[in-house]
Amino acid sequence: MRILVILRRVLDPAGIVAHRRLRRLFINREEYLIQPGDHSALEAALRIKDLGGAEVVVVSGQPEPDDDTVCRGLAMGADGAIYLSGEGFAGADDGVAARLLQAVVDRLGGADLVLVGMTTLDTAQAQLGPRLAGALGWPQIVGAWSVEIVDGRVRAVRRDGDDYVVVETDLPAVVTVPGRALEPRYPDGARLVNVYRGEGGMGEAVLRWDVADLLHPEGLVPLLENRGRDFPPERELGVRVEGTTEEVAQAVAEALRARLRGA
Amino acid sequence: MDASYLDLVMAQQEETFEDAEGGGGVWVVAESAGGEMAPVTLEAIGVARTLAESLGAYVYAALLGDGVRLLAETLYQAGVNGVRVADHQGLSPFSLEPHLGILVDLFAEEPPEVVLLGATEIGGALAPRLAQQLGGGLIEHATTVSLDPTGRTVEAAIPIYGGEYFEVVACPEARPQFLTIEPGAFAGPFLDEYRRGEPTMVEVEPSEPAVRVVGLAEGFRPPEVRLAEASLVVAVGRQAGDPAQVERLAEALKGRLAGDRGAWDAGLIEADQVVDVRGTVVSPDVYLAVGIRGDTFHRAAMEGAAFVVAIHPDREAPIFEKADLCVVAEPGEVVEALLTAIGSAD
Repeated sequence: MRILVILRRVLDPAGIVAHRRLRRLFINREEYLIQPGDHSALEAALRIKDLGGAEVVVVSGQPEPDDDTVCRGLAMGADGAIYLSGEGFAGADDGVAARLLQAVVDRLGGADLVLVGMTTLDTAQAQLGPRLAGALGWPQIVGAWSVEIVDGRVRAVRRDGDDYVVVETDLPAVVTVPGRALEPRYPDGARLVNVYRGEGGMGEAVLRWDVADLLHPEGLVPLLENRGRDFPPERELGVRVEGTTEEVAQAVAEALRARLRGA
Repeated sequence: MDASYLDLVMAQQEETFEDAEGGGGVWVVAESAGGEMAPVTLEAIGVARTLAESLGAYVYAALLGDGVRLLAETLYQAGVNGVRVADHQGLSPFSLEPHLGILVDLFAEEPPEVVLLGATEIGGALAPRLAQQLGGGLIEHATTVSLDPTGRTVEAAIPIYGGEYFEVVACPEARPQFLTIEPGAFAGPFLDEYRRGEPTMVEVEPSEPAVRVVGLAEGFRPPEVRLAEASLVVAVGRQAGDPAQVERLAEALKGRLAGDRGAWDAGLIEADQVVDVRGTVVSPDVYLAVGIRGDTFHRAAMEGAAFVVAIHPDREAPIFEKADLCVVAEPGEVVEALLTAIGSAD
């Protein structure tokens, strides 16, 4: 069984400050994390591998050379990695990414399961998994809190309103995993060193593919366009609530209710 | 004004006119629950009407479900011009493939210019698949929506890192433009009871869902939300009066109990509950500080909160600088009254 896990990176929010008054974004420390959902998805894949054996391949890509994401994936226990790069990769949106990944699956000669994070940490977009499922014509399970393979089918726990239900579907399938679902394991020390040094067969485990070989240039044109940033208004001084204790409590309860409804 | 400019304007107007004729208007994919329209659907209709006004287009709603025909009335009252209803017992409970198949057929027949859905579980499952199949662009979790200067492209702001700032995104070329609307971000429209209409029924034969529900996940518990990621935090301080009461409040609000350094020193909370730059930094939607004076480290660790309520007896307490709602009173009394106020509402 071959499991493909998509690893994307995200700027660590601890290193940035969105200044409301100056309406500017300050990047104090440019450090990247693996998207929590993708990280969790990799853990799900590795647990399937631990239980029943599987070939776990991570797919990642950046416009500029940066192997850190795939290295971390390999160090956690992935068997191989595909690193996409090349001109036209910059500005790729989820529509382009879905086409690219479809081409990756084709070139690999198929896969049984694709695991990807449900939502991105920064933009909160949850379209890559479903779009890829649509492109491949595979069934999808969105928001799987646990993933297992039972009798050649994929079985997952998914939220349904306030409850959690077990769902299953045929392979091949695309499953998206929320960031909190599974705690990613810590990489094995020796493996980590080998990965970063390219020793112990780890150098050969990474396949480097140029996006130009996978897609026509028009396939790389993104659908979405970024048109700038906006900042929330500056925080103002609060309002003082006055009155009897009951009145105050009523006002606070009212405000809380309004906020929680909106959230 | 020179002639070339006039030509340009006229050319633009002609183009606009043609688009309005050929374009299929602004569509809302309606969502209902328990025999009622989901609030986010009504909010989406409000947005759709604003867009349609400027685009010179009609607003349509697609209503899919089992026994939903009568809900079309609410959609008309909210201001849509046409409703397409697919009423079939195979469409409830929601599963992706039947809904997707019907909507793709519908949109192939009447190609929309803009399609709005709620940023809910259902909208989130449908929108990307629809966009992929119809070749459109999708912007999820829009909190503001407007038209750009060309007049036919929607620009939407999406919150980044949960609202630290916003990116403005547009889909200039591909049509339809799909958007999912963040629930609660837009005001719902006025429901005009005099507005009526006759919905168009769509004959459907829903396809089989690809994902089968096996049953309830007995005994499954999702991993606990970490304090840093909690959406509602009730923090206790040394001035809180009765700490057990604050704990009850946290439970009643389904929030996480936390506290400041002083509360930890006093043994009211555990070490992993300390909100402090040396402890946990939080950025919840709502932060309720009960009896916390608010030293620098505490304030720095909670200033990412979207809405802060502070209750403290001292009007000079620094926590009030960060609070949206300031209550200068004995926390014990207020919390007790607050528990009653919340209890009576539920």
